[in-house]
Amino acid sequence: MSALATDTAGTAPREEARRGLLERLGDRLNPLVVKEVRQGLRSRVFWVSFGLMLLSCFILSMVAYVSTREGALSTKGQGFFFGFYVCLAMVHFFIIPYSAYRSLAREREDETWVLLILTGLGPRRILRGKVASFLVQAALYASAVGPFLLFSYYLNGIDLPTILLVLVLGASWLFFLTVVAVCAATLADGRIGRALVHLVLLGSLGMAVMYGLIAAFFLSEQGYRSVSREEGFLIATGACLWAMLSYGWLLFETAAARLSLATENYTWGPRLALTLQLVLTGVLLLGLWLWDAPPAGAASGASVLGCLHLAITGIFVATDVDGQARALRAHTRPWSLLRPGAVRGFRLVVVLMLGWTGLCLGFLSMSAGGRGSDMAHLLGVLAAPAYTLFYLSLPLVVGRLPQSDRLASPAVMRVLFFSLSGLAGALLPLLAVLFDQRVDDPLFNLLNPFVGMGNFNDYNHSLDEPKMNLGLLACVWLVAVLTAFAADRALVERERRAHAAS
Amino acid sequence: MSLLEVKGLRRDYGALRAVDDVSFELEAGTILGFIGPNGAGKSTTMRILATLDTPNAGQVMLDGHSLVDTPDKVRPLIGYMPDRYGTYDDVTVFEFLDFFARAYGLHGRERARRVASVMEFTGLVPLQEKLTSALSKGMKQRVALGRTLLHEPKLLILDEPADGLDPRARIELRELLRALADQGKAVLISSHILTELAEICDTCAIIEQGRLLATGRVADILAQATGTAVAELLVRLFPGEEGEAVWARAERLLLEQPRVKQVAREGDALRVRLEHEGGAAGQWVDESAARVLAALVGAGVPVCAFSHRERNLEDAFMHVTKGRVA
Ligand SMILES: Nc1ncnc2c1ncn2[C@@H]1O[C@H](COP(=O)(O)OP(=O)(O)OP(=O)(O)O)[C@@H](O)[C@H]1O
Ligand SMILES: [Mg+2]
Repeated sequence: MSALATDTAGTAPREEARRGLLERLGDRLNPLVVKEVRQGLRSRVFWVSFGLMLLSCFILSMVAYVSTREGALSTKGQGFFFGFYVCLAMVHFFIIPYSAYRSLAREREDETWVLLILTGLGPRRILRGKVASFLVQAALYASAVGPFLLFSYYLNGIDLPTILLVLVLGASWLFFLTVVAVCAATLADGRIGRALVHLVLLGSLGMAVMYGLIAAFFLSEQGYRSVSREEGFLIATGACLWAMLSYGWLLFETAAARLSLATENYTWGPRLALTLQLVLTGVLLLGLWLWDAPPAGAASGASVLGCLHLAITGIFVATDVDGQARALRAHTRPWSLLRPGAVRGFRLVVVLMLGWTGLCLGFLSMSAGGRGSDMAHLLGVLAAPAYTLFYLSLPLVVGRLPQSDRLASPAVMRVLFFSLSGLAGALLPLLAVLFDQRVDDPLFNLLNPFVGMGNFNDYNHSLDEPKMNLGLLACVWLVAVLTAFAADRALVERERRAHAAS
Repeated sequence: MSLLEVKGLRRDYGALRAVDDVSFELEAGTILGFIGPNGAGKSTTMRILATLDTPNAGQVMLDGHSLVDTPDKVRPLIGYMPDRYGTYDDVTVFEFLDFFARAYGLHGRERARRVASVMEFTGLVPLQEKLTSALSKGMKQRVALGRTLLHEPKLLILDEPADGLDPRARIELRELLRALADQGKAVLISSHILTELAEICDTCAIIEQGRLLATGRVADILAQATGTAVAELLVRLFPGEEGEAVWARAERLLLEQPRVKQVAREGDALRVRLEHEGGAAGQWVDESAARVLAALVGAGVPVCAFSHRERNLEDAFMHVTKGRVA
């Protein structure tokens, strides 16, 4: 062995040095990238889809070649560009994310991920490695289609900035879909759950392909120049990119938490991501308000959307397991809201919601005001958190009554959350009708999360006053705060019991 | 101080107590066999020891560190092989080991050296270019064992490694484990194949319904459990001219001998049960066997074969456990 080594060192020192460099580079890479790319390049799926994609691109370019030779001056570039892009999109928006999902899902089914965790790689590096390795494969596909896309430019009818815009937005879509697919693989445990996630993912990816193609068609049709002049387009694109980035990150952290062990501080990542997502979105909105103050209705809109987002993410945060592993308890303080445990999750959501409401009140005061409808907007901004608080706490109170264990499982409480708010939304208007009142009667619908919220935002133009008043709002808040208090007590009691039992 | 000390381990799954107050110790360089019926809590205990699960109560110290409170510190000391040793499609044996070596943070020459030495030790060198998914069960199991050795752990936790292996592969596994123990590693191994464990293990622990029923050397467990040591003789006769009468004569003669408690006819042989009060120690089996043989031959009984065996782990297991399954 050593004789062999000196031999090669003697004859080809440069070769050795180069290999050393490559090796050191390889060492720095995420191990999963090395493995997945090796594995991917050996798989049948890769070669079949690669071959099919190249074949269809080749046929398309033959058609393009023939058709441009007949017509003297061609402007068919746009159509052929879209044709080539369809071939790439099939792979990028479906096959790559789906293979990424399968890869991690199998890792969990075969329990090889346990072995990965034990190596000390850590869930984040595992997920990053999975995503990165499939992006490398996507880049291989893209490099094969690249020449064809460039060829469509020479067919005229499409300019380079448009091509680049489509490719860049397409790449961000690919990135987002791959992250979502990898993370989806961590979300379900049982066999039924996995089958459900699998089906939902397949459907979503099908829609994602459609959506990506429609967007690409629209962009290539309009051209870079006309879309870049529209302010609405820029804001919408920016908002989409921000939503993709922040939700991708949130999902990534959630997946990492799902792959973590109970002894780790697994909630730190997702809860921090949620907090930062809200803070950064607030900052972006603040910039928007300072740049061009939108009408007061936008403030109540921001409040409603923010609270809706917090309610839906919140029910997942607040249904974490009761208590913590022993290793974590020593460093947990009352204000350590990012550390595991349902009670801390619930409190974090409440704090975030209050902060968001404060921000929306600030927006309201900055908006161009001075009209009577301002009162309705104020009521609207303040009503959204009250409903959120109530409907977030209610399933916790019902499901986590300190004595009952039956309803306490996270899945049950999440179902309770959606069904309770759905039931209230449907039954209360019915009740109003039964008692010979209007469907959207303010009193009957006071606790209706949908109609009630609409009522608070409503402004009665004929009477020139808001439909609701501060007294009714105070009632809703009172109920919400009492329920939240009961939920908090129930969670504290359950945590105490969980800690006492172990 | 022992390498591994387990004290009062408990793990509940809802109302089910899967592991109940389990305590034992494991020295470096020894092999401990973990035996129990299905659902006894072997895998649960091993998952806790591999830091994949946390106990509801109890403490585990590995090399002076708490495995429950500082799992990150002890994880590099542990090589864990679960009962399902997963392999990847489209990955060769070398790539598989190389990948895990990378994942353990080994770089450059060190990684190449470690992978090569593990392949050498497990005899995988001729197979290194084969796809892992195409390997036989025995070979897959060696790859899995090789993977647990890459980071040179002090404690090996192997969950039913001999399950589904043919006799030859089992013997080879036994030799590998012996070699590892001789290198100073502590090995914890669970199995259903009791006779196998008896040959591999220095000590064994019998677990049922989450409770440890007995720990120690096999012979000690037996004595501990029954208070009396038990052995068996097998006497084959050649009746010849005397015919059937020889069986009755031999049986009577045998029952007159001290320590003989029971005689049963089995085909052309007699199975003789010996019991000895006061533990397993001593050479009472050999002594009794010699006396019995002398008596038979002296009385002109035509003995054509004579053998004895001590009761083994299987008997100990059957005696200690009562077939209760959680
Ligand atoms: N994740 C879990 N959730 C609920 N119960 C579990 C879980 N894992 C194990 N159990 C239960 O704990 C008990 C012990 O299981 P364990 O897998 O440790 O047994 P085992 O001794 O390894 O059995 P086998 O020989 O079949 O592998 C069983 O009753 C099992 O049903
Ligand atoms: Mg088991």
